[in-house]
Amino acid sequence: MTESRLTKVYVANRGEIAARVGRTCARLGIEVVAADVASFLDAGALIAQARAWGADAVHPGYGFLSENADFAQAVIDAGLTWIGPSPSAISAMARKDKAREIAEAAGVPVAPRYDVEDVPGDAYPVLVKAAAGGGGKGMHVVRHPDELADAVATAGREAKAAFGDDTLLIERYIEGGRHVEVQVFGDEHGAVVHLGTRDCSAQRRHQKIVEEAPAPALSSDLRARLHDAAVALARAVDYANAGTVEFLVLGDDAFLLEMNTRLQVEHPVTEEITGLDLVEWQLRVAAGESLPLAQSDITFTGHAIEARVYAEDAYHGFLPQAGQALAVEWPTGDVRIEEDFGGTVTTQFDPMIAKLVVHRSSRPEALAAMLGALEATAFYGLTTNVGYLHRVVEAMALPGALIHTNWLEGEGAHLLEPPAEPVVPEVDGTPFGVADGWRLGGDPAVVEHAPTRRVGGRLFARRAGHTWEVLEPDPFDRTHGSGPAGDDVVAPMPGAVVAIDVAEGDPVVAGQRLGALEAMKMELALTAPHDGTVTHVGAAKGDQVTQGHVLVTVTPAEDRPVP
Amino acid sequence: MREAVEQLRSRLAEVRRGGPETARERHVSRGKLLPRDRVDRLLDPGSPFLEVGALAAYGMYDDDAPSAGIITGVGRVAGRDCVVVANDATVKGGTYYPMTVKKHLRAQAIAEQNRLPCVYLVDSGGAFLPMQQDIFPDQQHFGRIFYNQARLSASGVPQVAAVMGSCTAGGAYVPAMSDETVIVRNQGTIFLGGPPLVKAATGEVVTAEELGGGDVHARTSGVADHLADDDTHALQIVRSIIGTFERPSPGSLRQHDVVEPAEDPEGIYDLPTDGRTPYDVHELIRRIVDGSRMHEFKPLYGETLVCGFARIWGYPVAIVANNSGVNGGILFGESALKGAHFVELANQRGVPLVFLQNITGFMVGREYENKGIAKEGAKLVTAVSTSVVPKFTVVVGGSYGAGNYGMCGRAYDPRFLWMWPNARISVMGGDQAAAVLATVGGRDDDEEFKAGIRATYEEQGSAYHSTARLWDDGIIDPLDTRRVLGLGLQAAANAPIPTPSPALFRM
Repeated sequence: MTESRLTKVYVANRGEIAARVGRTCARLGIEVVAADVASFLDAGALIAQARAWGADAVHPGYGFLSENADFAQAVIDAGLTWIGPSPSAISAMARKDKAREIAEAAGVPVAPRYDVEDVPGDAYPVLVKAAAGGGGKGMHVVRHPDELADAVATAGREAKAAFGDDTLLIERYIEGGRHVEVQVFGDEHGAVVHLGTRDCSAQRRHQKIVEEAPAPALSSDLRARLHDAAVALARAVDYANAGTVEFLVLGDDAFLLEMNTRLQVEHPVTEEITGLDLVEWQLRVAAGESLPLAQSDITFTGHAIEARVYAEDAYHGFLPQAGQALAVEWPTGDVRIEEDFGGTVTTQFDPMIAKLVVHRSSRPEALAAMLGALEATAFYGLTTNVGYLHRVVEAMALPGALIHTNWLEGEGAHLLEPPAEPVVPEVDGTPFGVADGWRLGGDPAVVEHAPTRRVGGRLFARRAGHTWEVLEPDPFDRTHGSGPAGDDVVAPMPGAVVAIDVAEGDPVVAGQRLGALEAMKMELALTAPHDGTVTHVGAAKGDQVTQGHVLVTVTPAEDRPVP
Repeated sequence: MREAVEQLRSRLAEVRRGGPETARERHVSRGKLLPRDRVDRLLDPGSPFLEVGALAAYGMYDDDAPSAGIITGVGRVAGRDCVVVANDATVKGGTYYPMTVKKHLRAQAIAEQNRLPCVYLVDSGGAFLPMQQDIFPDQQHFGRIFYNQARLSASGVPQVAAVMGSCTAGGAYVPAMSDETVIVRNQGTIFLGGPPLVKAATGEVVTAEELGGGDVHARTSGVADHLADDDTHALQIVRSIIGTFERPSPGSLRQHDVVEPAEDPEGIYDLPTDGRTPYDVHELIRRIVDGSRMHEFKPLYGETLVCGFARIWGYPVAIVANNSGVNGGILFGESALKGAHFVELANQRGVPLVFLQNITGFMVGREYENKGIAKEGAKLVTAVSTSVVPKFTVVVGGSYGAGNYGMCGRAYDPRFLWMWPNARISVMGGDQAAAVLATVGGRDDDEEFKAGIRATYEEQGSAYHSTARLWDDGIIDPLDTRRVLGLGLQAAANAPIPTPSPALFRM
């Protein structure tokens, strides 16, 4: 391979990663353009645009086609430089079954694996995952043999939708383990180094939300084994460019999860503790240069934490949110903000809108700095997980706390209880308008005050990262009295109907699945509100429906008066 | 004083728990909110609640009826100052003792005088039958509640009821006579006769829900207007109903900027409280009025009574205060004349009156009687009786004899009357009463007799004895004096001030 200086990079991606790649290119004096296509999964359109715009290299970012070997090959075939590992390395690691074999041969520890058709009864819980997948999509934990078939069907459907391949892999599910990963880098001259560990155990539904580097509380022996295993795996596939080897760590044992053959969302924490620019390394390696540093020259300083801000309602099943923020407040000071937020979130893409990164000399200082950064962040008029992130980081900061990958949905489930809305009393300077909860000769009524801000004529309150709209009491906006519990099952958000399991006249029981809606890349089960009979089906599979659309009506079994 | 305040707070905390623990647990296990939680959720978040009669029935009825089983007071609901009346079903099923009736009527009187909308949170089994003769037949008994509801309505005071439990027999008229009524499904019931009575009367067997539950009244009978799922929902509906009321036009009192007292209000705790040690009442006034400033009227004349214009929470007030620091604060002819003049001034100017009572009485003796102190005292009593501005009385020390009258005792219809924990009230002091009764009975040397009289006066003259019988609106922490006056003034500002009309002053 020869060195070939890159002159114009085409980023086959969008959002904050496009901005991130653009920043390094600009610093290095390389022109950069970001894709503007109807679909970021349309390889042909992307390559055609890259060529039309005169680019000589393609950076895939992450997600979309970043780990698609065919796309990488197509880029190379089009005469462009692929900023990533070779297609053969990608495909070697893409299929989880194949990756396992290579890993085992390289002496990397792996979790026990089972055939889809033949899972032993004592193997449960097991994890069903897309063999072609990544990023948690299509992953399902199965605790009982009876649930396997359903999980396999759903995972297969999701895998097919997300990756165009429904092959599944079933492994022993290691509960209570921590997600520790090692950043590796290789070049085309055979050098491979590691850039230390990251802990990404704070996950909800297999989606990382808070990451830190280096991974805390690892013995030096285990840390060294992880480093060595990661480098060995990279060497086994002649890995050139940025990659991440993910492990599940339980006690002093580690098991390979997978290798991600791309830059990770959480790469900034590694950049912070190494002082390196991983995108720059990617560009240099892609251009045929040697790795800028040898392993012995790479040093680690302090502790870094990243929190991912999503437009989602953590307190209602992490429902993705769409809409426009009336105003945004970002933290100031020593906080790295990775964002390309234009003010609006659509249902079209992943709802991650920003990453906040802090780097301090110690983990406690970094955690405290992250809490401060989250408190200083506000999206007015758009529901985000900032307040939930604050709770998670608070939990991480508790003495002795070590969050594992099941923690947020297990021991940490209490964090999913919606916080009490802050009371924002009407204060008008009159004796009754002093909102101190005064009671005659007794303790005052509990009142929590929160700072408020008026944005676009609407009043918002903030506390510990949470932002609420304070609704002025409107006596005319209420449902008079009450009716029976709703009979209608409505679409909780705009989306596509992917399954309707019932027909008019079917008897159903409370909680029974009636169908499923796919919205914002999540499959939402529609369940019967009560026992009864299906009296109306308002959509068919494949229909695109709007929020509030009545999908199914279940009339209760008992005869009761019409409200 | 601090000890007395601690005692007050602990007694209040005691009664605020409500009925016995078993009753409270049963109440909560049915998905019902405790009455004080209901009040808290009814009120605007964080807004103060000026509770009235918290210690009613204290030490009465074998202490079976904390707060007389009913919570009353003034608070802000959806931006409107309202009177709240909430039954406590954990206290004997929310049944009405004589003091319960009196307290309910007192709340309605506050609503009437200050023109405040009323919210009734109903959860009551009706009259406490063992005491029916003290509850049912007389003018100021149970029936008066409904008489008042109709009269309040006729005068334009809105009333809203939420039926959150039983509402039986006469009690059924509370929701039935309200402007709008909310009932909680599977919890609230309204009927003239409950299932046992129906069975006895007609043989019909019927459940409470079928007889008068939420669905029946909201769908069939029309006795209720809104059906709620639970307590919280019911309170939301009540709030939204109140929210539909037009806000009152600017009140009858102008509120200026509020200025905190310049002198540390905690100094109130250092004032002598034994009733015998005199002190300069300016020390007290400076700790409750805005900026510690007062425009004093006739400071050099009739100095046992201090009169002056000031502001409290920005509201203008005319203060009339006994000054024990000068001749023990006894009312002389000049003091009474000065007071009468000043009360007339306040009326002419539409300024609310604040009486700070600490009075052993009018001066007695040949010289004073011969100079006609009776007609001077009469002028003060006349002026106070015929005044049309809102009046507030705080008994900060003694309240004895005719001094109570001239200084706007309960009989003179102050909008609110509060007592400090050290306050004492009786027709005369125990020593004087013992001496007078001993002399009249020819038992001047009977120390045992006199000790008995003194003991009786000691007990019956205490603030707790008074507040238990609703002779006042509550015992307050002296540090809260400024606060309760502010709240009272704001409540009073809801009612217009009528034109004064003169009475005859004996010259």
